[in-house]
Amino acid sequence: MLNDLLKAIAKTFKRELKRMIGRPIYFLGSIGVMAFCYIFFLTFFNEGQPTRMPIGVVDHDNSSVSRQFIRNLDATQQAKVVMRLNSHTEAREEMQKGNIYAFVEIGHNFEADVLSYRRPTLTFYVNDGYLIAGSLLLKDITYMSALTSGAMQQQVLRAKGVDENSIMATIQPVVLDTHLIGNPWANYGIYLLNVLLPGVLQLMVLLMTIFAIGVELKEKTSRQWLRTADNSMFAALTGKLLPYTVLFTILGMIANILLYSYMHYPLHSGIGWMFLATFLLVLAYQAIGVLMIGLTPVLRDGVCLAAFYGLLAFTYAGFTFPIEQMPPAAQIFSELFPIRHYFRIYVNEALHGVSIEYSIIYFVILLSFTILPLFIFYRLKKAAIYQNYPIK
Amino acid sequence: MALQHKIFSLHQLNSNMKDTFAVFVNEFRSVFNDRGVVIIFIFASLIYPLLYSAIYKNEILVNVPIAAVDCSRSHRSAELLRHIDATQEVNIVSTFATLDEAQEAYNARKVHGVIYIPADFDKKLNTGQQATISAYCDMSSFLYYRAMMLASNYCVLDMSNQVQIERLNAQGITGEEASIISNPIPYDDTILYNGGTGFASFLMPAVLILIIHQTLFFGIGMLAGTSREENRFHVLVNSKLNNGGTYRIIIGKGACYFFIYLAWSFYILGFIPHIFNLPHIGNPIDLLFFLIPFLLATIFFSMTVSVFQPNRETGMILFLFFSLILLFLSGISWPRSNIPGIWQAFGWLFPATNGIQGYVKINTLGADLHHIPFEYISLWIQTGIYFLTTTWAYHWQMNKSRKKAEKKEMEQMELVPNA
Repeated sequence: MLNDLLKAIAKTFKRELKRMIGRPIYFLGSIGVMAFCYIFFLTFFNEGQPTRMPIGVVDHDNSSVSRQFIRNLDATQQAKVVMRLNSHTEAREEMQKGNIYAFVEIGHNFEADVLSYRRPTLTFYVNDGYLIAGSLLLKDITYMSALTSGAMQQQVLRAKGVDENSIMATIQPVVLDTHLIGNPWANYGIYLLNVLLPGVLQLMVLLMTIFAIGVELKEKTSRQWLRTADNSMFAALTGKLLPYTVLFTILGMIANILLYSYMHYPLHSGIGWMFLATFLLVLAYQAIGVLMIGLTPVLRDGVCLAAFYGLLAFTYAGFTFPIEQMPPAAQIFSELFPIRHYFRIYVNEALHGVSIEYSIIYFVILLSFTILPLFIFYRLKKAAIYQNYPIK
Repeated sequence: MALQHKIFSLHQLNSNMKDTFAVFVNEFRSVFNDRGVVIIFIFASLIYPLLYSAIYKNEILVNVPIAAVDCSRSHRSAELLRHIDATQEVNIVSTFATLDEAQEAYNARKVHGVIYIPADFDKKLNTGQQATISAYCDMSSFLYYRAMMLASNYCVLDMSNQVQIERLNAQGITGEEASIISNPIPYDDTILYNGGTGFASFLMPAVLILIIHQTLFFGIGMLAGTSREENRFHVLVNSKLNNGGTYRIIIGKGACYFFIYLAWSFYILGFIPHIFNLPHIGNPIDLLFFLIPFLLATIFFSMTVSVFQPNRETGMILFLFFSLILLFLSGISWPRSNIPGIWQAFGWLFPATNGIQGYVKINTLGADLHHIPFEYISLWIQTGIYFLTTTWAYHWQMNKSRKKAEKKEMEQMELVPNA
């Protein structure tokens, strides 16, 4: 009995391998897309943090003090002074054109006011229409202003005869020491790629599962498919999907290796846990793919459904905008996305390196998605036999 | 003779327009007769903008739960924690005696940050030394990190300034002089164009343009795949209209997509930003003028690529992930100035890249059309180039179709004597 089942699975498996070779989409949709994404994202975020972003200055004073400040600003990691402008209007227009992400305005008599303690104000403007550039530059320029102010204070206090030891304690009595857990460089690659790559993986698993099954219905080869599997739906599905399970798991593991070994992104647990999470992620999305094509069971509708759900996964992983900060009605769907649970495992294990007990529940949830195909077994089998659904 | 010629060409023109109009009407019919295309052109265009705007409606994080570890247990440490708790960004939900306990709460994801005040905090403040406060930030989402930094930075700086004045006073520096020394060069930061530093205000404009670009791309691809599957020669276009018919077909079909999406643009780029209060300071006339080349470039780009699509569904399967790539290529999140040159050049190929940049500049930053010559001209160039490539591609397909038809005819003629 079991032997027969295994034979049926093996036959379907072989049939599927032949089909995969016969059409380019199977390898383009797996190896092709994933390879492109690996190359794209790994080269795209190579820098970790955007550095030397273009900013402008409007220097009405043009004194040695203002020029020194501009030089200091240019020497910071994030900002690069690319243009000197004559007026506020000109600077604003450059900002609207997108040529600069921020500008600093230094008023007339800045130097004279500084030297005679008249407290001149430094004004700067950042463009948060580009949120990442804007907020990084705001931090950078604020820091440089504080530093300039600090140097000024130091000078004055020294002149007042305050002793060297208490100068720093007077300038900055309370210091904030920040610890960025798991990602001390605030590296965007670490932050984004750990979800983007599995995100593309889940999208392709979903689409290819639906295509592999849906195309049988569309091209009316489904009866032959079932016959190969000795009319066992279980064998038909297992044999058909197994090549993709293997293929996508390997592709996912390559992503893990690229991130943790090649890029040296933080990995505070064994890589084995991430491999396991990747494997379960593939299984979970294959199960959802079967559910979707079983529900419709029309290739076109299945693909549309998968597109909708698969793209939402990037939102519902919760790595950009945290789920619990979304409107309550939007929050409830997040648990329905396996990538959400994968993300939790990644945060717990790779990023924070906490004990595996915290993550076991998410492994179990990922695994539990695999029961979904049972609900449409019968419906899918009927569709495969009667082929009575529209193919368009 | 000349008059006759003129009448003839007028007649010709008239018939050309009739043909084009026939193609237009026909295409309109096939759009609405195809459930798959209706889902993409109508359903997705309607739902996606609403859905994503609703999900990101909250714009910023408020009251992110954090923990506090107060080993100082002094008047000052309590004051600092009270201030941090009172900020909009974070909320101190639990206080622990040791850092280990706080770490446990953090590991269990109950809190997304920890403020640690060491035991010697108050003593250092009272003895004129520099005191240190530690903030531990959750980096799983940078928005947590941002909330934590904003709140703790602001409150610590505030307390620091307060202590500074006291210390200056103690050193005999008082009044106006003390405030001058405590802050000799005050600064004034102004956040422009997204004053609330909102996440939706920053991301949604790009997503809206991307929705137009991608639904057009997939819809047109699906239509092409269908006509291929239904066509008996498995080529894209039937060669009923010969010589010059290519233009009539392309313009007729293009016009159909253009008018559908012109209507959608009022909804996606006009109505949605108003309803969800996303940035909308653009001049509507400029926006309209910008939209024309964007839609045309997108349509012809999609029509060109659609020629290579053998089936209804394959385009969507193979290129869906590209929506994500396009979002990053647009230079809205990762600044354009920092995108590697080769990817910038690659990004230029897609109307979405210039479309997003241009739309954001007009509608978020309030630029006029003459401020964005690069995007505007690029889109017209793309319109021209992709129109040409569409023509070539259609020509190629029509020749293929004609050849196949001729071949079939020949075969049939050969078959007759045999029978």
